[in-house]
Amino acid sequence: MNNINHNIESPKEKQNRHKAMEAIKLLNTLREDFKAPISSMEYFYDLFERVHCKHESLHDDKTKIGTMCIQIPSEIIYALDGVPIRLCNGFYTDDEIGSDLMPQKACPLIKATVGHFASGNFTDKPDIVFSPTTCDQKTKAGVTIESFGYKLIDIDFPRTKESEASREYWRRSVKQFAVELSRFQGKKLTRTSLKNAIKKIGYAQSLYHKLSEFRKNELVPILGLDVFLVTNAFFFDKIDNWIEATEKLLSELEIRAKEKITVSGKASPRIVYTGSPPIFPNYKIPLIVEQSDAIIVADETCSSNRMFNDMVAVDEWNIYDMMDSISDKYLKACTCPIFTKNEDRIRRVIQLVRAYKADGVVYQAFAGCTVYEMEQRSVLEAMEKEGIPIIYLESDYSPSQGGQLSTRVEAFIESLKNRRRMKK
Amino acid sequence: MLNLKRKINNMNLVRFRFWFQIVAFLIIVYGGYVGLDLGDKLPTFACVYNSEGTGGKCYVGMLQHDLKHPLETFMGFAGYAFLISLAMFIAWFWVLNKGWCGFVCPLGTMQDWLTALREKLKIRFSEYSWANRSKIKSIKYILLILLLIIPVMISNSIGGLPKLPNGLSMPFCDICPGRMLIPAFTGNFNQFYIDFSSKTDLVMTILGMMIVGLFLVGSFIKKRFFCYFCPMAALQYIFSKPALLKLYKDGAKCTKCGDCYRACDMDILEIADDVTSKNLVTEDCILCLKCIAACPEDGCLEANFIGITIFESSKEGFILRMAMDMQKESHE
Repeated sequence: MNNINHNIESPKEKQNRHKAMEAIKLLNTLREDFKAPISSMEYFYDLFERVHCKHESLHDDKTKIGTMCIQIPSEIIYALDGVPIRLCNGFYTDDEIGSDLMPQKACPLIKATVGHFASGNFTDKPDIVFSPTTCDQKTKAGVTIESFGYKLIDIDFPRTKESEASREYWRRSVKQFAVELSRFQGKKLTRTSLKNAIKKIGYAQSLYHKLSEFRKNELVPILGLDVFLVTNAFFFDKIDNWIEATEKLLSELEIRAKEKITVSGKASPRIVYTGSPPIFPNYKIPLIVEQSDAIIVADETCSSNRMFNDMVAVDEWNIYDMMDSISDKYLKACTCPIFTKNEDRIRRVIQLVRAYKADGVVYQAFAGCTVYEMEQRSVLEAMEKEGIPIIYLESDYSPSQGGQLSTRVEAFIESLKNRRRMKK
Repeated sequence: MLNLKRKINNMNLVRFRFWFQIVAFLIIVYGGYVGLDLGDKLPTFACVYNSEGTGGKCYVGMLQHDLKHPLETFMGFAGYAFLISLAMFIAWFWVLNKGWCGFVCPLGTMQDWLTALREKLKIRFSEYSWANRSKIKSIKYILLILLLIIPVMISNSIGGLPKLPNGLSMPFCDICPGRMLIPAFTGNFNQFYIDFSSKTDLVMTILGMMIVGLFLVGSFIKKRFFCYFCPMAALQYIFSKPALLKLYKDGAKCTKCGDCYRACDMDILEIADDVTSKNLVTEDCILCLKCIAACPEDGCLEANFIGITIFESSKEGFILRMAMDMQKESHE
C-alpha cells in the first residue's frame, strides 16, 4: 500500500501537456489530412514537434534576444552574435494563463504572449526582451512582462511613417537599440558582421520570394498552411538550418511544378489572407479555409509575408548607411494597421490579389485586436470598389468557435466557386 | 532574347555606370585631340574653355552667345540662328533625356568620383532636410533666367535700364566650375585667375573661384551637390516630356519601401512616394537609374527607350546586386 506513488501534475507539466496536445493535433492534421503531402515539409513538422511537444531547446549556446514584434531588426541581433526569438504566441493554453493578467477584451495574441512570460516556461528562455511600441496592447504589455522579472527594453516606434520626423525618430531608435544590445552583449557592431547579417537575412528572404513564386502557378504545389509553418519557423529556428530546409523544399517544389502535382482541387478558389497573424498553433482560420477546398496563395500578415517581403537595400556598405537602410526597411515598407493612414496595406492586398490571381480575400481579426478591427471598414470598401470579394471574420484562440466560422467560410468559398463558373 | 533581358536586369549598374562615365568623360574632355567634334549644341558641360581637348561644346555657352544681339538683329537672322541652335540642342537632349546628367556630364562624373572617395574614407554623406530640399529647387531656374536675360541686357536697354557691361557676356560660364576644372584635366590651369581689369570681371572671377571651391567641398560631403543648382538641368527639364529615354514607375507594384529614395543621389522623394504618376523623370532627376537597381519589386521601375523596356527592376537582379545570393556567384 505504501509504495504507490501519487504523481500530482505540476502547473508547468500541465501547461506543457496542453501545449503539446495543441501542437500535435495541428501537426497531425497537416501531415495526414491533405492530399499530396510534401516530404521536405517533414523538417518543419518535426521542428515544431521537437520544440513544442518534446520541449527541446535549440539555442543553448547562444544569447537569446526576445523580440515582441517584427520591427526589431534581426540583422543587428545576428551581427551582435545573438539569436532573435520572436515571442508572439499562438497557444490557447497560454492565452488562458494570460487572461487572468490582461483585460478581458484584450487580444488573444497579447494574452498568450503575456501568459507565456507569466509561466516562465520556455524551451529557449530569452535573456533580454526588446519591445517596440507598436500597438497599444503590446506597448503596455511590456510593463506587465517586466514585473515577472524579465529584462525588457522598450524601443520607440512611430505611429506615422510618411513624415521626415518619424523617419529620423525611428533611425535614432534603431541606433539606440544597437547601442543597448551591444552593451548587453559586450560586443562592438562591426561593418563586416553587420554586412554578413544583412546578406544572410536577405538570402533567407529571397528564398521566401522563390517559394511565393510557386504559389502563382495555376496548379499550386504547396498549402498556405505549410507556408505559414515555414515562415513561423523563422521566428525561432537556427537560421542556417532554416535556410537549408527551405532550399530543400524549393527543389522539391520545382519537381512538383514540373510534374504538375498540386495540393488543391480543380475548382479550388484562390485566397489572399490578411489580418491578424496566424501564429503556430493558432491556424484556425487558414485551416478552415483550406479544409473547405480553397487554397491560400498569398497573405498579408506580419507572421509571414510582411516579415519577408521587403529587403534591406544598401547604397554605401558602411555602417552609417547599413543602419539607415535597416531602419527604413522596418518602418517605411511596413503595412501594420497601427499606422495612422494605411493606403499602403490596401494597395498591397490588391496587388497580391492581382499577382497571385486570387478569387477572394479572407480578412481575419482577433477579437480585441482594435487596429485590425478598425481597418476592416476601409479595406472592405476598397475591395468592393475593386470588385474583389472579401469576407471579414473575427476569431480568437478558443477551440470552440469552429462550427459557426466554418459555415461562413464555406458559404464564402462556395460563392467564389459560383463566381468562377459564371465567368466561364 | 529573354535571356539577354534577364542578363541586363541582373547587371551590376554601379560598375556599368562607372565605366560608361569614364568613356563619356574621355570623349567629352579629350575627344578633341583625336579630331572629335560633336558640335556646339551639346546638352552637357563639354567646356568651350577646354579648347584643344573638348570633343564638343556646351549649349549653355552657345545660348548666351546667341542671345547677345540687339533686338533688330534678333528679329532677323540672329533669331533664326537661335531657333536652329535650340532645335539642335533639343534633338541631342531627347536621345538620352536627363541621362546626359547621370551618364555623360563631366561635372557630374567628377562629383561621383568625389563621392566614391568619401565612401572609401567611410565618411557619412550629408542630406538636406525635406523643407530645405524643396526650397533650393527654384535656384536653378533663377540662374537660368539670369543667364538668359543678362546677355540680352548687354545689347538692349530693357525698361529704360542702362545696358550691362560687355564683361558679362558669358555670365554663367564665369561662375561655372566646369570652366576651371575641365581644362585642368588637360593640364590647362589658365582658367584659375582673378581678373582685375574691370569691376565686373573682378566680381565674376572671384565668384567663379569661390564656386569651384564650393563645388569641390560640397560634392565631397553631399552627393551631386552642384546638380541641385544646375541651370542646364532647368533648361533640359523644360523639354523633358517628349524625350526618348524615360523612367517609368508602376505604382501598383510599389510598396513604398523607400529603397529607391535612399539610393537616389538627388534625394527625390517622389520616386518612393508617388504611386500614381507613370513618368518619374522629375526636374532634378539625373536618370542615373540607381533607383531601378535598388528596387526589389519585379517590374516596378523601368528605363524605357521609345516604348521599349531596356532595364527594369527585378527581385533576382536586386539579390545579385546586393550580393545576397549565397548559391550563385555574386557581383562582389
